[in-house]
Amino acid sequence: MSNDQTNTLDARLRTAIDKSVSNPVMFFFTTGALWLVVSILLGVLASLKSHWPTFFEAFGELSTGRAYVAHLNVLIYGWCFPAAFGAIIWFMSRLCRKESKHAGIIVAAGLVWNFGVVIGLLGVMLGKSTGVPWMEFPNQCWVIFLFAYILIAIWSFVQFRVREGGHVYISQWYILAALFLFPWIFCSAHIFTFVFDGHPVMTAAVASWFKSSIVNLFFIPVAAASVYYIAPKVTGRPVHSYSLALLGFWTLIILGAWGGIQKLTGAPLPAFMPYVSAAAGVLFFIPALTIGYNILMTTKSHHDLAKKSPSLRFTVASVIALIGMGVAGVFLNLPSVMRGTQFSLSGYGYEILALYGVFSMSMFAAIYYIVPRVTKREWLAPSFIRTHFNLSAYGVIAVVMGSILGGYLQGAAVEAIDQPFSDAKATAYMISIFNSIAWVIILISNLAFLFHILLMAVRLGRHSKHATLIEEHHGSSPHGADGKVNNY
Amino acid sequence: MSDNNQKPDLNEDLNVLDAHGNLVEASAASSRENQLQENGMEPVSLWIILACFAGVLVAGTVLGKSGVLSANSYNEFVVSGYTQAERPGGAEEVIVPAAIIDVFAKKGAKIYQAKCQGCHQPTGLGDGANFPPLGGSEWVQGDTSALAQIILNGVIGPIKVAGRTWNGAMPGQAAGMTDEDLAGLMTYIRNSFGNETGDVISIEMASNALADYKTRMGPAPVAPPIKVAELESKYMVSLKGAKLDPATKVNPETLEVVAE
Repeated sequence: MSNDQTNTLDARLRTAIDKSVSNPVMFFFTTGALWLVVSILLGVLASLKSHWPTFFEAFGELSTGRAYVAHLNVLIYGWCFPAAFGAIIWFMSRLCRKESKHAGIIVAAGLVWNFGVVIGLLGVMLGKSTGVPWMEFPNQCWVIFLFAYILIAIWSFVQFRVREGGHVYISQWYILAALFLFPWIFCSAHIFTFVFDGHPVMTAAVASWFKSSIVNLFFIPVAAASVYYIAPKVTGRPVHSYSLALLGFWTLIILGAWGGIQKLTGAPLPAFMPYVSAAAGVLFFIPALTIGYNILMTTKSHHDLAKKSPSLRFTVASVIALIGMGVAGVFLNLPSVMRGTQFSLSGYGYEILALYGVFSMSMFAAIYYIVPRVTKREWLAPSFIRTHFNLSAYGVIAVVMGSILGGYLQGAAVEAIDQPFSDAKATAYMISIFNSIAWVIILISNLAFLFHILLMAVRLGRHSKHATLIEEHHGSSPHGADGKVNNY
Repeated sequence: MSDNNQKPDLNEDLNVLDAHGNLVEASAASSRENQLQENGMEPVSLWIILACFAGVLVAGTVLGKSGVLSANSYNEFVVSGYTQAERPGGAEEVIVPAAIIDVFAKKGAKIYQAKCQGCHQPTGLGDGANFPPLGGSEWVQGDTSALAQIILNGVIGPIKVAGRTWNGAMPGQAAGMTDEDLAGLMTYIRNSFGNETGDVISIEMASNALADYKTRMGPAPVAPPIKVAELESKYMVSLKGAKLDPATKVNPETLEVVAE
């Protein structure tokens, strides 16, 4: 069979796969984008109310405490998980070269998942929050999520079992690990918190462990799967180094579950628990650096592409954020820093860096790559993508730098016992105002994204053979306007 | 019959070029893709290895800070020299003195909730079957020494309360009971549930009651429940100690009498 025929057959298979997963993928991405905007609105509200308490006072369901809890939980359960599911389903189908035969069940399970988010959000607003960080949705919700997860994820396992060809690509390692580890982390945390009647201090430890583990062993692996897929795919180059990929993968999986409890340094727990977690938090630097370096080296010498291709630009932003997360982990887990930042905004900054800077940016990259393929339309407006990227990047840099460094200053001010406590409050006040502005910027960015993806969902994208690029071509192609083949 | 055979290859509505164009467009995104290549085999840069070792070194230092692994690190995180700042204006919190009968009854109510209301019920009227009422009870409103010994030792065997004979076993409640607790509890039950003796059991009286209890207990670790016969023969008296005016003002936190 000639090379050309193989290519045509391949393209036909890819088109068939894209068609088979089109509905679930678009369902998860659009509902995710919707929840993302809701979450950011709540984040803006929580941030505004922290320095402007009388704002929106009449609506008690969204007091500062409830809005903040709703903001983080809707971000995680409304946007992060569904976006991850959409990406996992598409990557796994493509990499296993198998069509999905269960799109209907996945969409139904996705509806169940979103039902859980609605119930949880209402519960939090009515004051029924459980009070356990990142597990605040009222108790029943986690069972709904687990049930929906099994129905969503199981088909990706099945696809992997019956995959074509023996080679298992790096993205598949990460997706499989994430799919296996999620039920373990999710069940352990929720069962030890809500089913067994444990000691309250241990519940606090379990909750901190859950936060750290779900980031390190679910969100970061899915982000890694996305960047390892998109960078070589768009540039057409092989992944820089296989050994580095192996190193990054195994260090992440081995170290991922040790973190989190450093948040409780000084709590009545055996001293080794927070310190082991702090050491694991420092060691997170290794997978972050190796994954980031590997991707950056793969895209090296394609700077022009990174400017033009939305997917690649978001991918590069995501891995830079990942390296930043590794560095922030080293800084925040030094005992001298930890004692000051423990009760400050720094932890929030680190969480937003992980959830938005690394994970969400990689998911945006995946979405800009996947959606044209499953909808058979090209993105409508480069200006929307530009707005989305620029405002997201500036906004998240502002929130993260503001919270981590501001939290450090706040912690230092709290520690300065010879100064009045109001000094520390003044520092936090400043950061809150800064954060509010940054969240408004991120809100504008994601309104553009939501509008854009909704247009794509109703198939109002461009009909074209060519991808939508962020920057217009300078100069003309020798093959004429329509003759240039591009790969993005 | 079947129109399958009659279906034309082309009908005039269909423009072949357009149809082909649509098909090409539909698969355009997946056609223009690059194939994923085999993984690169670039050697790992020395700088990356060094950076990873630096990370391990820092992590080791952090771990080394934990000191004795099982120790609690609380003290390390408490700043030495910390003193609480004065309240704005420097004023002490104002404690308003209140009537001793109210203060004691309030204290006693808490102890009642913890120790007594399981059997004698929140109404203080018992359950009508096994546990006698306190409201209207001649033992509660009668001689204070007998009441104190019932509370401290518990009672076994038949006892006549409010016109009926009860045959149960009340366990002693002396464990952890301080003079202040007993004074509060007795003041409370003698002035609640319809009882209105209007008097206060002072801390001095309660202290004497506990002394009697210890005498009865002797060297044993705990005293056996008392019987009605023993109560009637030895304890049908009022507790020793100066009577206090129920309106005496005391500090509600320290329970000390406040000089007017």
